[in-house]
This record gives sequence, structure tokens and C-alpha cells, in this order.
Amino acid sequence: MKRFLLSVLLGWAIAAHAAMAQDGGPLRIEITEGVIEPMPFAVPDFVPDSPAAGEMAAQIARVIAADLSGTGLFREIPAQAHIGRVSDFSAPVKFADWKAINAQALITGAVSMSGNRVAVRFRVWDVFSGAELGNGLQFAGSADGWRRMAHKVADAVYSRITGEGGYFDSRVVFVSESGPKNDRKKRLAIMDYDGANVQYLTDSASIVLAPRFSPTGDRVLYTSFETGFPRIYVLDVGSVRRRVLETREGTMSFAPRFAPDGQTVVFSLEQGGNTDIYSMDIGSGNMTRLTSAPSIETAPSLSPDGRQIVFESDRSGTPQLYVMPVGGGSATRISFGQGRYGTPVWSPRGDLIAFTKQNKGRFHIGVMRTDGSEERLLTASFLDEGPTWAPNGRVIMFTRESKGAQGRSTLYSVDITGRNLRPVRTPGGASDPSWSPLQD
Amino acid sequence: MQTGTKISALAHGLLLGWAFLGGVFQSDPLPYEVQDVSVISAEEFALMTGQSRTPEVREAPAEPEPPAAVETPDVTAEPDPPPARSEPEVAPEPVPEPILEIPPEPVPPEPESAALVPETPRRPQRPSERIAPEPVAPPPPEARPDPVEREEVAPEAQNDSTREAQEATAPEEAATEIVTEAEESAELAPTRSPRPAARPARRPPAPEAPAAPSTEDAVAAALAEALGETRETAPTPTRPAAPSGPPLNAGEKEALRVAVSSCWNVGSLSSEALATTVVVAVSLSPDGKPQTETIRLMSSSGGGDGAAKQAFEAARRAIIRCGAKGFDLPVEKYDHWRDIEMTFNPERMRIK
Repeated sequence: MKRFLLSVLLGWAIAAHAAMAQDGGPLRIEITEGVIEPMPFAVPDFVPDSPAAGEMAAQIARVIAADLSGTGLFREIPAQAHIGRVSDFSAPVKFADWKAINAQALITGAVSMSGNRVAVRFRVWDVFSGAELGNGLQFAGSADGWRRMAHKVADAVYSRITGEGGYFDSRVVFVSESGPKNDRKKRLAIMDYDGANVQYLTDSASIVLAPRFSPTGDRVLYTSFETGFPRIYVLDVGSVRRRVLETREGTMSFAPRFAPDGQTVVFSLEQGGNTDIYSMDIGSGNMTRLTSAPSIETAPSLSPDGRQIVFESDRSGTPQLYVMPVGGGSATRISFGQGRYGTPVWSPRGDLIAFTKQNKGRFHIGVMRTDGSEERLLTASFLDEGPTWAPNGRVIMFTRESKGAQGRSTLYSVDITGRNLRPVRTPGGASDPSWSPLQD
Repeated sequence: MQTGTKISALAHGLLLGWAFLGGVFQSDPLPYEVQDVSVISAEEFALMTGQSRTPEVREAPAEPEPPAAVETPDVTAEPDPPPARSEPEVAPEPVPEPILEIPPEPVPPEPESAALVPETPRRPQRPSERIAPEPVAPPPPEARPDPVEREEVAPEAQNDSTREAQEATAPEEAATEIVTEAEESAELAPTRSPRPAARPARRPPAPEAPAAPSTEDAVAAALAEALGETRETAPTPTRPAAPSGPPLNAGEKEALRVAVSSCWNVGSLSSEALATTVVVAVSLSPDGKPQTETIRLMSSSGGGDGAAKQAFEAARRAIIRCGAKGFDLPVEKYDHWRDIEMTFNPERMRIK
């Protein structure tokens, strides 16, 4: 009995001490559940320094708004709902006007024009705290490059709010398609990431496949059937000059991709009915065989640190994904789900691998960790294939083809969470996209 | 031993010996097939099985023979005609993604309706732009987004009703987890036959009619509320000077936690910021509103300085936004909630 009373007294003393300790300090709570929703933001038209800059100032604001809204992470509050007006870039912001419409971020800017030179200044504000996010910044360039300047502003805004790099000032090379399925004309084309400024790099005389940007974005690798056999070409984007990568007589080479150093190319080479992966130094033309198996090894993609290669192989009976050291050697299988896996692409962040999966008559674009764990399918349709990563590793672009004889290929993009699936506008059909790094 | 016994023993011994040695207790062997086999080597077996086994990749692959003659790249080959740089072709408007359209909300099952298709045990969620701890059905189109759901009261009905005119409000649609296209159900049609809903019961009139405020006052109040201002002419009588009292109970703490949670938007945070836990301190005024200048980052863990900054800014926005009208806290316990340390731990949000 005495022991029981002692323990009760001890427990009471501990509880009382805890209560007193709480009285002395601040109240502590832990928040573990939040919401995931697009952040409302406002971009009033930028302030022009002259009437001549007025139209461009409005267009720049529209491109910034479209860039941010297109990510799915932000939601623009339309100008019709704005209460406040920004007529002076340097004047204090009336945050109450923007709080009233629940704008959490505000982007203000000004455009000045002098001849063919344009300068764009901007600031980003956290409306509810009344604080500026980062410092004001200015971009200058020729009037022709106003869209790029708008993309650069959007990249800076995106980076300041999310904490990760943007992807708006980037380009996409793809295969432009026209004509019916049984007589489809294909040629290489390049455009801004949002579908603007389309230019063609080749004519449609021969079939071209799988263009891939170099790490610096100045060259493109692609496969052409110009000679009847698939051969790999390197094309300089600026001069549109190209040269063939010489491999071996009587072989077929395809599925090329640059290594992160920009000087080495990994690709598949078919010889005597067997397909293996090789690497080649572009400067010297020296080739190294990386796999040696009777099965088909193809679609190699290097990790951003250049130490590993993920590729597709049917050595287990069905196409699956494997990872091996960059110099070849023992390969580890990383895909174990149902169905067939192919076209793996290593994320620029290095944390994920995107792939195409075919299962039960449907195609999916998915992502998995580099060890094959946490597989997540993002899309499902009649035919999805060929993923490519945005420079920040947050968005994937891919080809979606519709069913039937009149089926058409279209480019789509999707966030790595599986949200914000949306088509990319292109003139006519489009397939095989490859996303460039951010431009300088 | 008698002679008869000896004869009997001998006879039994002979009988048993004949039975064992003569095969009385042995059965015929079961029939079995005989097949010729031959021994092959491991290499032959590997060749026969072909691709069913993973062949070993040589550690150091042999250097392939270089091409017989390394030709200088043909830089004089005729380049393709340069791209037209004058005007890009006008791209057609993109085809809208049909799957992104919010499907009509399936009719909730009525007790009296007939089931046409047996329901699956776990119905897939609707895709939604907003992910929140509690799912919320799509709001009516005319409703204004607001945390509190209210029905509309028309101005013309004001004379007959005791209720003030008000807009219809409803919480924004939300799901509890991200639903990708691959996870969406192929069958979005309702599985039950809808029946007309019963007529809603008329609300009984209130016993006393409070004085309706004038239109000017209502507009001024709405504007002041929207702008976050405090009307000096109408001090809040329910917020007296701050006395001390007992500590907050679990329910009051939970209400505060839920209030902040509803504004903590992590949708625009980077992966690294989503792995960063921040502890944020804030002081509240007696009316429950956060004093913005007191919000500060106490500590962070799990990410770098940049990620901690993004995570802190998201936490700060949550405190300011949801505290704009004052957190619902018992004023008699003000001493206990004047200073608060909130730990924002996004671990569970990463797996949405």
C-alpha cells in the first residue's frame, strides 16, 4: 500500500512539473497535414516606359503568366479580378488590394525600350507577409528576343517561390509528322518548350527518328534512314550542318544519346542479328563495346554524374530495365512489375528514371527510383512512349498517339506527381521529343 | 517336448518360410516408362535455353576493331536547306485533354434505388487540383470558395425570412491523394439508377427577427473584412482584456492545428523543401491574430538553407492567411497561447 501511494505521488509530481514547464514556455503544436493546391498569383501588365513599349509590356506579362500557370503549381488571378493597379514600378505596393483577391504572390515589372534594345525589370512579392522574394532583377536583349526574356523572368519567379530551377527558357527538338499513317512524312523540328518559334532542321525526304539534345543544347543526335539503313548523325543546331557517326560497315546503329561530357555517345549497334550497346568518342571515333549478350540491348541513358547507364534488355525473356557501370560490366535488373518496360531516361536530378511501360494492352509513362523502387505510373492511353525530362527534373514530355488509321501523334507533358497532364501545341503531328537544358 | 508339438512347430516354420521366401507378400512393381537420356555440358545447355537465362557480361569487353579506314567526317556534304526563320508556322490550338475534365459526381446511393452493378470495395478517388486531409465534393457552380459552407439567401426573400442576405459559399473541391491518369477508373458512369430527391423540409422560422443591418453597413463591413482591417467603431465585445487561465485542452490545440493546416499549401515546394521540417515561432495578439513581424524561423532539419527558406515562407503564409481573421482560441487562456512554436513537418505530404 505504501509503495502504491508513493508511485501515485510520484506520477502527480511529474505531471505537475510538465504542466508548469508548459506554462513557462510557448505553446507547441505540430502540423503534419497540409494541402496541395496551385498557388494563386497575379501578374498585372508590366509598366512601359513609353507608348511604343506598351504592347510588348503586356505580352511579356502574358507569357510569364502562361509559363507559371502551365506548371500546375500556380493559378493566375485574371486581370478582370484585380482591384489594385500598378502604374509605377518603384512605388510601394498596396498589398491590401492583392490580399483582398487572395493573391499570394505578385509579380510587378517594367519594360523600357531604346531602339531595338529592350530591358525588362521585375520584382516578386509575398503578398501576405508584405516581403519581397529575392531582389529586383533586370534582363536586357534585342526586341526579337522578348519571349526569351519573359521566359527568363518566369524561371526566376518559379525558382524563388519553389526553391528549384525553372524550365521555361528551354527548347524541344522533335519529329514533326504529316500525312496518313501509311505514308507519314517525318522531319526534325525545334521549338520553344511551349510550342512557339517552330523551325525545321531537315526536310522530309527520309525517315528520321529519336533526336537527342547534347548537354549544352548546341547539337542534336538523331537516326536517319537516308541510306536505307539506320545511321546516326550529329547536327549543329546553329549552322544546321551535320555529319554521320561512322560505325562499322554492314551494321545498323540507332538509339543514340549523349553522355554528360558532351563528347561521348552511347548507342545501339546491330551486327549479325545481335544488338548490343556501344560508346563512341565523337572526336576520335573510337568505339567501346559495353554489353556482350545474345539478347537485344538498347536505349541506353547515362546518369547525370556519368557513372551509370540504364538500358533496356530482353535477356530475361521480356524487355526490362537494367543498370550497369558506364564502362560496361555486371548489369542489375531494376524493373520487376508486370508488362514490358522500355526507353528508360535518367532524370537530370539523378533521383528518378522515367520509362515507357506496356501492360494489358495499354501504354504508360512512369517513373521509378534508380534502384527500381517506388514505381509510379503517370499516364495511361492507347500509346504513350518516349519520355524526356525537363531541365529541372520536375516535368516529363512524351508522345501520345491516338487509335485508328487516322491516329495522330501529339506531344504531352505531365508533372512527376502525375498531375497537370496537358498537350503541347505543335503544328501538325509530333513525336520523339527531346528537351534541351536551360539556355544561357 | 511332445512329438506332436515338435511336428506342429516344424510345420509352422516351413509354412512361414515358404510364405516369405515364395513371394506371397510381394506385389508386382508399378509400371514405369523408360526414356533414353544423354549428358550435355553447361555450355550446350546455355545455348539450348537461349535468352531464358541472363548471360554473364564480360567485365572487360574486348576492344572492338577500329574501322578499316577512319574517314574524315564529310563536312562538305550538302547541308539541308536552312530552316525558315521568317515566321513560325501558326500552331493550331491544342486539343484539350478530355480526361482532365472533372467527371460528374456519381449520384450517392439511395436506400431505395436499385443497384445495377455491384460496387467495388474501394472506389477510386476523383482527380482534383486540391489535395487536402479531408475530401470535399465539387462545390456548386454559383458558390464562392470559402472554408465554411453556407447556402444562398436571396435578397427578395429577406422580407419573409429572418435570415440576412448572403452569398452561397462552399469549400473548394479536394481529394485526399493525387490521382494520376493511370489510376483513374475506366468506368466513370454511375453504378446506380438515380431517383428524384425528396423535397427538402422547410426550415422553421426563428422566434425573433434580429434587426437587419443597412446595405451601407453590410458593404462597408464586407470591404473592411476583405481588406483585413479592424473597424474601430465596433470593438469586439467578446475579446476582453487578457486574463490568464488553465492551459489549452487537447480539443483547443487540435482546432488550432487544423486551422493552420488548412492554409499550409505545400504544392509549390521543391522536393528538397518537402523534406525539410521547420519550427516557426509566432506571437498572437489577444484577438487571435498573428503579429506578422514576430514570425521567425527557429530551426530546421532535413534540408539546406535554401530549402529551409522555402519551407519557412510556406509556413509563414499559412499562419498569416489563416490567422487573418484571428484564430479561434479561448481568450481567458491568452497567457498560454500568446507565444506559439509551430513545427511544420511535411513528411506525410510527400507521399500524397
